[in-house]
Amino acid sequence: MSKNNIPYSLVCIWLWSAIATSLTAADDQDVLNGQAVSLLRRECVSCHGPDKQEAELRLDSREAIRAVVQKPSLLLERIEHQDESLLMPPKRRLAEKDIAVLKTWIQSGARWQVPVQWKSVTGQHSGTIGDAWSDPKNPIRTLFRGERLDLWSLKPIRRPTIPLVNDTGWCRNPIDCFVLAKWGSEGRTPAEESPESVLIRRLSMDVTGLPADFTHVQRFVQDSSPDKWDRLVEQKLSSPSFGVHWARMWLDVVRYSDSNGFDWDEFRPNTWRYRDFVVNAFNRDEPFDRFVEKQLAGDERFDGAPRDWDEQESLVATSFLRLGPRDNAASLFNEQDRARAELMSDLTETTASAFLGLTMSCCRCHDHKTDPLSQADHYRLSAFFAASHYADDVPIDLLEEQSSIREHNQKLDDEIEAIQKSIDEIAKTVLQRKPTKEDAKKVKELMNAEQREQVHQAEKKISAIRQAKRSFINGLVMNDKADSVQPTHVLMGGDHKAPRELVEPGFPSVLFPNPPILTRPMKPNSTGRRLTLARWIASADNPWTARVMVNRIWQNYFGNGIVATPNDLGVTGALPTHPELLDFLATELIESGWSLKHIHRLILSSGTYRQKALADVVMTEGRDHATLRTHLRRKSAEQLRDSMLHVSGLLQHKLGGPPVWPELDGATLAANPAVLDDNETKTKGWYPSHVSQQSVRSLYLIQKRTIRIPWLETFDLPENAVSCGKRECSLVAPQSLAMMNGSLSLQAARQIAETVAKEPQGTMHQQIEEVFRRVLSRSPMENELNSCRTFLESRTLVELCLVLLNTNEFAFVE
Amino acid sequence: MAQHPSLSVHQHPAGRRQFLRSLGLGFGLTALEALGSSRLQADGPRKRTRTIDPLNPFASRVPDFAPRAKSVIFLFMVGGPSQIDTFDYKPVLQSLDGKPVPDSIRKAVEATKHANVFHGCKPELMASPYQFAQYGQSGTWVSSLFPKMAEHVDDIALIYSMQADSNNHAPASYQLHTGDVRGGKASLGSWVTYGLGTENTDLPGYVVLFDAGPLGGNANYNNGFLPPAFQPTRLRDRGLPVLDLLPSTETASGQRQSIDLMQKLNQMHRAEHPGFTELDARIANYELAYRMQSAALNVGNFEEESKHTHQLYGLDESDPRTQSFARKCLLARRLIERGVRFVQLYDMPDKDGWDAHEKLTNNHDPRARWTDKGVAGLLTDLKQRGLLDSTLVIWASEFGRTPMMQGTMGRQHNAAGFTIWMAGGGVKPGLRIGGTDEIGLMATERPVQFRDLHATILTALGIQFENLSFEVNGRDERITGVAGTANPLLDLLVT
Repeated sequence: MSKNNIPYSLVCIWLWSAIATSLTAADDQDVLNGQAVSLLRRECVSCHGPDKQEAELRLDSREAIRAVVQKPSLLLERIEHQDESLLMPPKRRLAEKDIAVLKTWIQSGARWQVPVQWKSVTGQHSGTIGDAWSDPKNPIRTLFRGERLDLWSLKPIRRPTIPLVNDTGWCRNPIDCFVLAKWGSEGRTPAEESPESVLIRRLSMDVTGLPADFTHVQRFVQDSSPDKWDRLVEQKLSSPSFGVHWARMWLDVVRYSDSNGFDWDEFRPNTWRYRDFVVNAFNRDEPFDRFVEKQLAGDERFDGAPRDWDEQESLVATSFLRLGPRDNAASLFNEQDRARAELMSDLTETTASAFLGLTMSCCRCHDHKTDPLSQADHYRLSAFFAASHYADDVPIDLLEEQSSIREHNQKLDDEIEAIQKSIDEIAKTVLQRKPTKEDAKKVKELMNAEQREQVHQAEKKISAIRQAKRSFINGLVMNDKADSVQPTHVLMGGDHKAPRELVEPGFPSVLFPNPPILTRPMKPNSTGRRLTLARWIASADNPWTARVMVNRIWQNYFGNGIVATPNDLGVTGALPTHPELLDFLATELIESGWSLKHIHRLILSSGTYRQKALADVVMTEGRDHATLRTHLRRKSAEQLRDSMLHVSGLLQHKLGGPPVWPELDGATLAANPAVLDDNETKTKGWYPSHVSQQSVRSLYLIQKRTIRIPWLETFDLPENAVSCGKRECSLVAPQSLAMMNGSLSLQAARQIAETVAKEPQGTMHQQIEEVFRRVLSRSPMENELNSCRTFLESRTLVELCLVLLNTNEFAFVE
Repeated sequence: MAQHPSLSVHQHPAGRRQFLRSLGLGFGLTALEALGSSRLQADGPRKRTRTIDPLNPFASRVPDFAPRAKSVIFLFMVGGPSQIDTFDYKPVLQSLDGKPVPDSIRKAVEATKHANVFHGCKPELMASPYQFAQYGQSGTWVSSLFPKMAEHVDDIALIYSMQADSNNHAPASYQLHTGDVRGGKASLGSWVTYGLGTENTDLPGYVVLFDAGPLGGNANYNNGFLPPAFQPTRLRDRGLPVLDLLPSTETASGQRQSIDLMQKLNQMHRAEHPGFTELDARIANYELAYRMQSAALNVGNFEEESKHTHQLYGLDESDPRTQSFARKCLLARRLIERGVRFVQLYDMPDKDGWDAHEKLTNNHDPRARWTDKGVAGLLTDLKQRGLLDSTLVIWASEFGRTPMMQGTMGRQHNAAGFTIWMAGGGVKPGLRIGGTDEIGLMATERPVQFRDLHATILTALGIQFENLSFEVNGRDERITGVAGTANPLLDLLVT
C-alpha cells in the first residue's frame, strides 16, 4: 500500500465503523437518525463525501446535509427517479424500506446522527427528568439558571468527519488530517520528520521507558523494508516493558502507595498485587471498560471464591478503592467518623478525577463554583461507595487452591489431634482421671522421665506440624456489606458532623438527574452500587471516560494533553486545543472495544509523532501547538534511573512480586519516627531487600507515604495522597548533585567502565567509542572523541562514564 | 414531590448562610475588594496562580505589600507539649487536683467538635507539678520548665487559644504544616518559597532540620502539589549537610575536569538543538550545584562562631541532646543570615517527642532542658545581630495536653486549646492573645485556628494570603483553606 493511499482507505474504514454506533439508538427518532446517516454513508458518501464531491454535493456531515434539508427534492427525487441515468445511487435502486427511512428522516428535520445515547446503554433511569439542555425541570438548569451548559465536555462524543487536507503525502493516518487541517488554516506546516535514529530512541523511551540499544538503532536505520516502523511499533507494544512503563502513569492517577500514611504509615504487604494487575492489564490490552469495572466493582462481578485468574484479578483490582491514605489510629481518639468521611471523599474525588475528569473535590462543601455540578452531586456519587467495607478477611486464592489449603490444613489438624490424644492419654495415666485445663502444672510434676520425654517429643511434633500449615492470601480488597449500608447525606460545608439532605446514588445531575436502577451484583450482601457506577463509567454513555483516557495517553507521548489539565475537563480546566482530534480518538477507543493499544498504535503510526523536536514551541506558537509537536523532555525519575541501570547492564528483569526496598541511611529513615518504633508484625519499619536484588525497574521500588526514596523524590516523584494527572518536571541543582555524586550513577559508571575495559584490544579510541555506544546509543563525533581523549589522559574511564551519564543528551528524551 | 437534593440543599437557611460564607462573603468587604481587584488584573479567570519561571523558580519575588518579616524560623516541638505546664498558668486547676472536671466545663466541651478530647483520659484532673512565676515587664507566667525562655517573655507574643481539628498526631500535625488534616498538601515552607522565592540561590530556599522528623513523616513538610522546585532540603547539623553533596573519593579530585568535559559535550549537543532553554537551565544547574557544595559546607562551619556564641546556644553543654538541638538553632540563624527564606526546625530527638501519655515529668523535664537554652539563645542572638526584626520566629506544636490525667500521671492530647508563641519580624512583643477555660482545657476566649495562624504568618511576610493559590484538579488550593474563612491576627502584627 503506497503512503499516499493510506489516508483515504483509512478514512473509509473509519467511516464504516462509525455506522455501528449509530444503531445503538434507543428511541425511535434516534434510531431513525442513525439509520439515515448510516444509509448515506453506505450508499452516497463515496462520491459525495471527503474524497469526491460530484455535482458539488456532500452528504457526510451535519453542515453538508443542511443544503439537502433546505432542498429536499435534491435527494428524494434522485433516489426514486424513473430515469436510470438520473437515478442515485447510479444504476441501483435503494430498497423500499431504505427510501422510506430517508424520506421520513428528511421530513422530520434531518437531524444528524446522535451516536451517543444517554438513555440507551444503561437504559435504567427510573425518573422522568431530562438532561439540563432539554428539560427546564433539570435541577442543574434551575440551580445555575440555565448557564454553564455550553461546557464542551458535556457534549456527547461524536465521531468527527475527517477533514480534507491538501498535503496528503504527509498524512499517515487520520490524526494527521486533523492536525494538518488546523495548521493549514493557520498557514503552519508540520516540522520535518526526525531522523530515524532519533525516532527509534524516542519510541523506545516512550513505549517501554528504556533506551534503545546501539545495535537496535543501527539495525533499524539500515533496515530498508517499508514496514519497518510498524513492525518496530508492534514489537515495542508487545514487550513486557510496555506495561511496566505505562503502569506508572496509571499508578500516579490512582494515588498508589504501599503504605497507609499518617502516624504509623504501616506497610500494606499485598498492595503490589494491584500494581501487577495494572502492568498485566496494559500488556494484554485488557479492554478499558473491563479494566474500570474490575477496579470499581471487581468483587461484585462474581460470587464466592475466585474460580479463575480473571475473578482473582477482579478481587485484587478493588485495591483501587483502598489505595488512599488511611488513618489507622483514628479510633484511638474516637475519630472514626472523620476517617470514614475522608475515605468517602477520597473515593468520590479519586474516581471523578481518574475516570471522568470531574473536579468533585470542588463541590464537597458547596455547589461547584464554575462547573454544572451541585454539592448534592458530590454526595450522590459518594453514595455509590456507601456500603464499602475493608475486606481484610477475604482470601484471594483460587477456589481450587482454597480447597487444597483447607484439605491440607484439615489433614494436619487431624494429625495434631491424634498426637494430642496420646499426650492426654499420658496425663490420664498420671492423674488416674480425665485431666482438666488446670491440671497442666500438676501433670508435669507427676510425670516420670520417660513420660516427660514422650510428651516433649509429641509437643515438638505438633509444633512442627503447625509450621507446615498453609495460610490464605488476603489481598487489599474492598467489598460491600449490604446489611450495614449507611445512608448518605449532603454534608454542610463538607463537615461530617453536619449531615443534611439524604441522597441516593446518582450520576452528575446535569445529564443524569434521575436515580439509576441498580445493577444486581453477582453475589448476596452486596448492593450493586459500585457495579452500577462502574458500568456507567465504562460505557459510551457518558461524555467523559473515553476523552479522559485518550487524553492521558496523548499527554504521555507529547508532554501535553489535547486538554492540558488531564484531571479537569471542566470550566477552570483547559479547553481542548483540538476537540475533533480528541473526539476522534475517544470514538476510536470506544469502537475498538476499548482497546488502549489501538490508541497507542494510532498515535505512533501518525506523522505527527514523527516530527522533529522543536524548541520553544510554547513561546513562539502558543500552547495549542505544543500539544501537537514533540519537544525535549527531561526523563522522569523512573526513566532516568532505569536508563542508568539498563545502559550499565545492571538492570534486573523482575516482573511483578513484592516491592523492593532500597537501602536508605538512618537519617533519611528518621523522617518518620514510627520507623524507630517498629512493631512485632513488622509494618512500621524499613526492611531493605538484599543488595543483590535492588537493581530492578523503579516501578518495583517500595512507595511509602511518609518516607520517600530521596533520589526519586529529587526527580519529581509526585505526592501520592490524591490523584496526580500530570507530573511536574523540574530542573534544579540538587538533581545535579544526585547525578554527579550519588551512588547510583557512580555504580553505573563503574559497571560500564569495568565491562568496557574487559574487552580485548581496547585502545583508548575504542573504549571511548564503546562508552558512547552504551550510554548514548551512538558513536562519538570527531570533536567529542578528541575532548574525551584529552580527558582520559589525566582521568579514569569510570569518570568518563560518569560524565556521559550526566550529559543533557542522556537526561532528555528528544 | 420531593425536591431533587441538588436544589433542596439551598432551602435550608443555615445551608444558605454556609453557602454564602463558603463563597467568601463572610469576611470584610475590604478583603473581598482587594481579592477581586487583583484577580481581575490577572489574565482571565483561568490562571490565578503565580507565574513561576520554571528555569529560575527561586528568583526572589516582590511581595504583595511591604513585608514585616523576610524570613521564618519555625520551631516545631513534636508531640504536643503541655500548655498548662509551660505557659498557660491555671490556679483553679492547681486547686482541683484529683477532682473531676467541673460539670459546666465538661458540658461546654461536649457541645463542641472537641468532645472527643475526653477519650482515653481519666475523669480526674491533675494539677501541674511545676512552679509558675511571673516574668518581664509584661508579668507573663512561665513554669519552671523554661527558665531561659522566661527571660524573653517581653520579646514574644503568646497565643493561648490555638485549636486543631484532630486530636491525633499526624492529622493535627498535617493541618499545622499544610492546612489540611489529610496530608499530601503543600507545607507552609513550600508555600512561602513559592510565593517569595529566595535571596540566596547558592543555598536552598526552604530548609528542614531534625534528628527524627515529625509524627506523620515527610508528608508534613513536603511541597505536596506545588512544583517540585519548592521541595524542602533537609540539612544535617553533623557530617555532610546535604545528601550527595560531595563527590566520592574516586571522582573528587577530577570533579572540575569532569564538569568541564560534561559542559563541553553539552555545548556541542546544545548547538544542534537551538532554542531549548531547558538545556541551558540544566547546564547552569551543574555550576550552581558546584557552588552549593562550598556554600553548604560553609554554612555548617561552626568554627567561625565565637566561644560566646557556642555557650549562648548551649553547644558547650555536656548533654548530647542539648548540644544537638543547639546546633540546629545555630544553624537556623546561619541559614537565615545567608538569605534562606524558611527554616523548619523540629525538636524530635527520639521517637516520642513531647507525647507525655505517662508520667509527664519524665517526658517534659528532659525535653525542656534540651531545648530551653537553644531557643532562648537563638532569640538573644537574632536580637543582638539585628536579625530579629526581619525574622519571624514561631514556637508551636500540633496540639497541647489535657488537664485530665491519663495513665499514671500522664496527659492525653488536647486539640481544644493550647499555647503557641511568635516573635520577631512584625510581631508585637509582649502581646497576649486569647485564653482557655479555668482548667486550661478548651479555648474560650478568641479561639484561633491554624488557618488564622497561616494567614498571620503570610501577612507578616507581605503576602496577600487569599491570593497565594495553586490550582489542583480544578480547585484553587490555599494553605488558609478554599473556603476563605481565615482571619489573620492583624492586632498581633506591628503596623
